[in-house]
Amino acid sequence: MRRSDEARREILSAIRENLTRSARGREPRGIAPGSAELGKPTADPGPAARGSKERGDVVSSFTEQLAAVGAQWTVVRGATEAAHALAGILTAAGARRVAGSDAPLVQRLVSGLGDGFVRESLEGLSRDGLFACDAGVTTAQWGIAETGTLVLESAREKNRLLSLVPPIHVALLSTSCICDSLGDALARVSRASHAITLITGPSRTSDIELTLVVGVHGPQAVHVLLLEEEP
Amino acid sequence: MTFDRHARAALADGQLRGALRQATTLFGERRQAALATAPDWEGARDRARAIKDETLLHLDRYLDEFSANAERAGARVHWARDAAEACEVIGRIAEQRGARTVVKSKSMASEEIHLNAALTARGIEPIETDLGEYIVQLAGETPSHIVVPAIHKTKRQIAALFAAKLGIELSDDVATLTGAARQALRRRFAEAELGVSGVNFAVAETGTILILENEGNARLTTSLPRTHVALMGIEKVIPRFADLEVFLQLLPRSGTGQALTAYQSLLTGVKQRPEDEGPAELHIVLLDNGRSRMLAAPVTRQSLACIRCGACLNACPVYRQIGGHAYGSVYPGPIGAVLTPQLFGLGRSPELPYASSLCGACRDVCPVKIDIPALLLHLRAEVVATRAGKQRALERLAFAGYAAVMARPRLFEWLVRAARMLRVMPPLGAWTKWRDLRPLAPRSFREQWRAGLSGKAP
Repeated sequence: MRRSDEARREILSAIRENLTRSARGREPRGIAPGSAELGKPTADPGPAARGSKERGDVVSSFTEQLAAVGAQWTVVRGATEAAHALAGILTAAGARRVAGSDAPLVQRLVSGLGDGFVRESLEGLSRDGLFACDAGVTTAQWGIAETGTLVLESAREKNRLLSLVPPIHVALLSTSCICDSLGDALARVSRASHAITLITGPSRTSDIELTLVVGVHGPQAVHVLLLEEEP
Repeated sequence: MTFDRHARAALADGQLRGALRQATTLFGERRQAALATAPDWEGARDRARAIKDETLLHLDRYLDEFSANAERAGARVHWARDAAEACEVIGRIAEQRGARTVVKSKSMASEEIHLNAALTARGIEPIETDLGEYIVQLAGETPSHIVVPAIHKTKRQIAALFAAKLGIELSDDVATLTGAARQALRRRFAEAELGVSGVNFAVAETGTILILENEGNARLTTSLPRTHVALMGIEKVIPRFADLEVFLQLLPRSGTGQALTAYQSLLTGVKQRPEDEGPAELHIVLLDNGRSRMLAAPVTRQSLACIRCGACLNACPVYRQIGGHAYGSVYPGPIGAVLTPQLFGLGRSPELPYASSLCGACRDVCPVKIDIPALLLHLRAEVVATRAGKQRALERLAFAGYAAVMARPRLFEWLVRAARMLRVMPPLGAWTKWRDLRPLAPRSFREQWRAGLSGKAP
């Protein structure tokens, strides 16, 4: 028998014994697991009760929160505008070595970048190569208006390292995918992803004398390209 | 009395007290401001506590559910009864994978089991990657705050430390110092075969673990190495995925005063295809180490609701003066004063339940409404119950005498008058060591009552 099996049995029986002992103190073992009453959120009345905001309000509260957490954003319409904006953002940030995720839109935009850039392909990019990149470009599957948060799902694209290792992260997000609240976003994410990453602004620390420094281990700049539907 | 000695040393350290005052005040203010941005703070606290209570009352079932779902998603779950067993499990995983270095993101549980020492003993180098933890590790010290581990060090001390250990030039610039740590740690991330992280919440329904952070080191730790080991206390489990919402409203606001920290990683098993990103192996170590014992009574069980935000530290008038090291444990502050004796035995730290004025500030700020003062009183009663014979006999005698006097008004009055005349007070050494005894009034209430409460001098 595996040692861990023995440990498992012993821990579970210790839990049961101690809970039984507490029940003898005239305290019933209480609410059934998964009881409907507790499953019902009380902290947030949910989108219906809260009144669904207009799309424009959701976008503007999202960008307001992006600013509050130190992220930048640009609103664009269509792929051509997005390509221009991406080149502008990268040039302004002084980024030369750029890698994009495997999302089709990202591939198209990155391959359209001019000769001033070194375009790295994520396939076959060594660890050193990844560490040498100036900027990573990915999409975000969802945004959260309440907190200025990006939600990245691993099942949809290879976004984990490019949104983390290079000093600049550019994320493409459709304005129609901005949720009101964290609760809405959690209800919508695909649980099939083995990694779901929530990103709120650049990497930060206050570990030395409580002085805020951005870009400690993750990106020091997060730029959101907000894609509006073409009319 | 080690707490006593450490507390005195801390009180004499002006620099430490200045840093503590600044940090605890700032975090307190930020927390207060952040509460206003929560949709329904009190409702969220009640709901979170109800979820924790429900989970703890059925902890066996939820742990089994979590374990089954995590394994279904490709993780491997290990159970560890105590610190030694957890260190053994993690050490063996590291050895089997030929790891020479292990990158670690912040984990209180790993401090609790002294994982770094155990790995070092096997010839494996553990590297702390959270900036504060990295500083503390380079200095050969221990963290002094749950959220800001190196709060006791000035930037000058850190500059000298980095100059000596990393070979950089002395600098007073915090951004330069942070940059030097980033550079040094990037190399370590690139070469590490194994990453060890903690866990903030574990979802039974999906087998998901969630890790919160601001720096990105936990993301690197859990994305770059081939193998990820996540260490969690058995109390970290919550029933449903949707329950994450309420805990994510509470934890960052209480800890750092943020609506959300920069990153949340929700990890469910491992990648399904080899060409995908992320580790090929995920090992989750479930640690008991004294926790199941706390389930035996409602008063102690609530200790397991703690989400390790650190708000009670910042609010505590004792912690604000003496900092974390005086508690002599990985868990400092009010929550540490109740966790440490329960986890490691009352015999090892019988003074900790007394390291409090029972003012209740900790209970007021606790996001899951743990009644820490009630726990402190419960533990004090246990200390008294286990006290050695002589002291106990003396105490009994004193209280018997007190009861006899208080039940006899004439005797009481006579004694008060005698004490006033002789200007003597009863010998209450342990009480008057830290407190002033009020002087006796020139006229007692009874005397005034008899004189018709006229207020005139006798």
